[in-house]
Order: sequence, then C-alpha cells, then structure tokens
Amino acid sequence: MGVSTERQDNTLIAKTEGRIDGANAREFQDALDAAIDSSERAVVLDLEEVSYISSAGLRVILLTAKSLQKQDAKFAVCSLSESIREIFEISGFDQIIAVHDSRNEAVDALKN
Amino acid sequence: MEPPYKILVVDDEPDLEPLMLQRMRRHIRAGRYTFVFAQNGIEALERLNEQDDIDMVLSDINMPRMDGLTLLEQIPKVDPNIRSVIVSAYGDMKNIRTAMNRGAFDFVTKPLDFADLKITIDRTLSHMTEWREALSSRDKLVALQNELNVASQIQQSILPTEFAQGDNYRIYGSMDPARNVGGDFFDVVHMEDGFVGLAIADVSDKGVPAALFMMSTRTLLKGSAIGIGDPGKVLGEVNELLEEDNDAGMFVTVFYAVYNPLNGELAFANGGHNSPLIVHTDGSSTFLPLTKGIALGVMPGLPYKEQSITLAPGDTVFLYTDGVTEAMNTEGEEFGEERLQQVFATVSPQDPQAANEAVFAAVREFAGETPQSDDITCLALSRSES
Repeated sequence: MGVSTERQDNTLIAKTEGRIDGANAREFQDALDAAIDSSERAVVLDLEEVSYISSAGLRVILLTAKSLQKQDAKFAVCSLSESIREIFEISGFDQIIAVHDSRNEAVDALKN
Repeated sequence: MEPPYKILVVDDEPDLEPLMLQRMRRHIRAGRYTFVFAQNGIEALERLNEQDDIDMVLSDINMPRMDGLTLLEQIPKVDPNIRSVIVSAYGDMKNIRTAMNRGAFDFVTKPLDFADLKITIDRTLSHMTEWREALSSRDKLVALQNELNVASQIQQSILPTEFAQGDNYRIYGSMDPARNVGGDFFDVVHMEDGFVGLAIADVSDKGVPAALFMMSTRTLLKGSAIGIGDPGKVLGEVNELLEEDNDAGMFVTVFYAVYNPLNGELAFANGGHNSPLIVHTDGSSTFLPLTKGIALGVMPGLPYKEQSITLAPGDTVFLYTDGVTEAMNTEGEEFGEERLQQVFATVSPQDPQAANEAVFAAVREFAGETPQSDDITCLALSRSES
C-alpha cells in the first residue's frame, strides 16, 4: 500500500490506490505517517484511485485527521468515488472530515 | 541458549579427555564451553539421560559396545533437538556419508585440528541457538493462536442465542464471524415495561484491540440502555464514555432502537451504521432514513438524533452489518443493498430466523469461493400480523 505525494501551492497532496481494508490498513497508516511531516500545515488525501475502504481504513484517516489537528494543520479528502462517498456518509465521517469533489477544490478550500 | 555450552565428547581414546581440556582451556576458563566425556555410545546415552542440558555431541565412529553411527540413531530418541558432529578417519567417505545420512550436523577428521574443531563447534552451536529460538517462537505462536481462539469463543458466547418471544413480536439474531477475532456484535435488551432494545454494532478494524473495544462498547451500551432508555441519549452517553480514553482512534458504528410492543413504535438512533431495512408483508422493503449520526468514539459532545416509525402488523425491521452488503464475489462485486432487498422479495420475513438464514444463504451463494473477510451479523424483529 504505497502513498505518493506531491505539492500544490503549500499543500501536501497524498495519494494512494486500490483497496484499503483490514489486511493493509497498518501498511497504509505507516506509509501515510511517513509521508506527512510534522511541519505540514495543509494536507489533502486524494482518494480518486481508491476502489474500496473498510472501517479499518476509515480509522487510519481518522487518526491522520486527529494528529494533523494537533499540529494545527488543515486536512481534507477529495475525489471520492460514489461508493466511498456513501461509506463516508453512512459512518458520519463526512461531517467531521472535509470532503471535496476535486483536488483543486480541496487545495483552494484549505488556503482559507 | 546461553554459554557455557555443554558438549558431550564420545571417544574410546582415554588420551582425548586431557587433550581436549588442555587445548580448549581458554574457552573453558572464559565460560564458553563445558565438557562431559563418555567412552562409547552406551555411556553417551547414559550421560544424555542424566543431564538434560547437553547442547551438542562430538562423537568418534569406531568404539566398543556401541559405535558412533548407532549412537547417531539413538540420540533423537533422547532429545530430537541435539545436534551431533562426527569424528572420522581422514578420507573415510563411506562412514562420513552414513553419519550425515543418519542426521549428523557436520564432521571433522582425525588427527583433530583444534582450530577447525572450534569453528565447527561454534557453527553447530549457533545453528542450535537459532533452531531453539525458532522452536520457541513456534510454541509462542501456537499458544497465542489458542488464546485468540479462546478470545473469539468468549466474544461469540456473549451474543444472545436464546430469544424471548413476545406476545406480538418475534426476534432472531446471528453472527457468522470471519476468521479473526472481530468487531461485530448485536444485543437484545429487555426492559422493565416490556419495551425491547435492539442493538447492532461494528467496530473498526479486527483483532484483539477491536475485540476489547467491542466488549466495552457492549457493556456500556447495555448499561446505558437500561439506565436511560431513549435511543439518542443512549448513543450520546456511550459515545462520551468510549471517546474518553480512546487514543487508538478506534470507533464503532452502532444502530440502537427501542421497540414498543404495545403499538409497534420503533424509536431509533444511528451512530454511523448501515440503515436497517423495513420489510413489509408483500416483500417490498425500504431503508430507514439516515439520521446523520457519527460513529461512536470519534469525537466528544456529539448529538444523536432520534427518529421513530411504526411497524405495521407483519412488518419486520432487519438490522445488519456491512459484512452483508460488502461481501464480495469472485468478480470483486459487492453484494449490495439491492440484492439484500431481493432476498425478501422471495422469502417471507415473518419468521425472523428464516429471514436471517435466507440472507446468510444468499450472501454465501453470492460470495462463492471468495473467503469471508468480515463478520456477517443480522438481527431481525417482526411484528406479528394480528
């Protein structure tokens, strides 16, 4: 479960792909932790290429959101497929984590 | 395995003992080796039986009473984990091959080159150390697996298996656990005034942390359910309690409803769980509206909105976890909500046990050869028709 990163303005974009489930959630967490430096001020997790996310995967995103909150950094996810958006809605995560349709929209939102 | 290592030297030459002690004296004094001596195979077996801390055997081949090759066959019967090094005449390939085939770890040749012997002994001991560590890890793993199996049994044993049936309702629930200790549970709470609490929940992730979180959720939920009653407030209180020392970022989705058997009213609140299905007598079904509640344990101070509906006589409320709708087939498709609704188009939900079994059967048939990756849990309540 790799996480690739790039930078857009002052925002770190982290991206991964495939399924995030109980089998690779730990690996995803380690990769995400390694990718996000404690000096980051804004992070967007791009889920465009993610086909499925289980509750174990949601937990990793929640942990990331919480630790970024502690370092006063902004966090958002973007480009969710319909089924992943549904998982966010059912679990209520869309109310505590900012969800944006596109990467640009997320980066713009985090600027403010 | 730690020094000093105990080495059993087997040789009928009486001169070997003082020679060995003399040539190895530095290593003996440094506390690395200790030596035990025997003059033939019979004596060697006696030593091995007396002293269970012998780490390796260094044995000659030609000896009276029992030779080295026979000894090699006997050692595993005393301790299969002892390694042997054989001492042979230079060029005696036939005996060396026989010894190796009988399980000798290595060989050295006469006359003994003590520097080479030291290397051979150390190589054997280092192999023994690794071997014993591997054995001990395997034992620990087996013990851990056994403990996990016990944990999994405990977890399943707390689920209700007997369902008290009311005058005008019937309940049935069951869980098909995935291989690991998992995080689903359901519960039925009978309250004083005849009201019935129905809970279904799914903890994020699997394994022991999830199981512990699940156990505490269940206990808290039951306590709050009996103490408060009101579903929205119950979830609110459980959320506070779970969130308090939850550094691991675990969360649990919970649907909790209270059924009033007198008028069929079902009051419910939803903490991030899949919407239950209301199935009508004609086989049609609708999902309960989402109440926008967030999974429990995520954030303190969250409100959980309560709603209520009335079950018409013959209606069934069907609670389930995402192990049902996210079960995959060999093509990687999910079972989904539509297939769940289709099950009830053909099966009467009046009998909640039959409804459960029909859903499990449909999921299993759909999944085919795909291994089950998540717990599958269902809980149904039917209001009797008259």
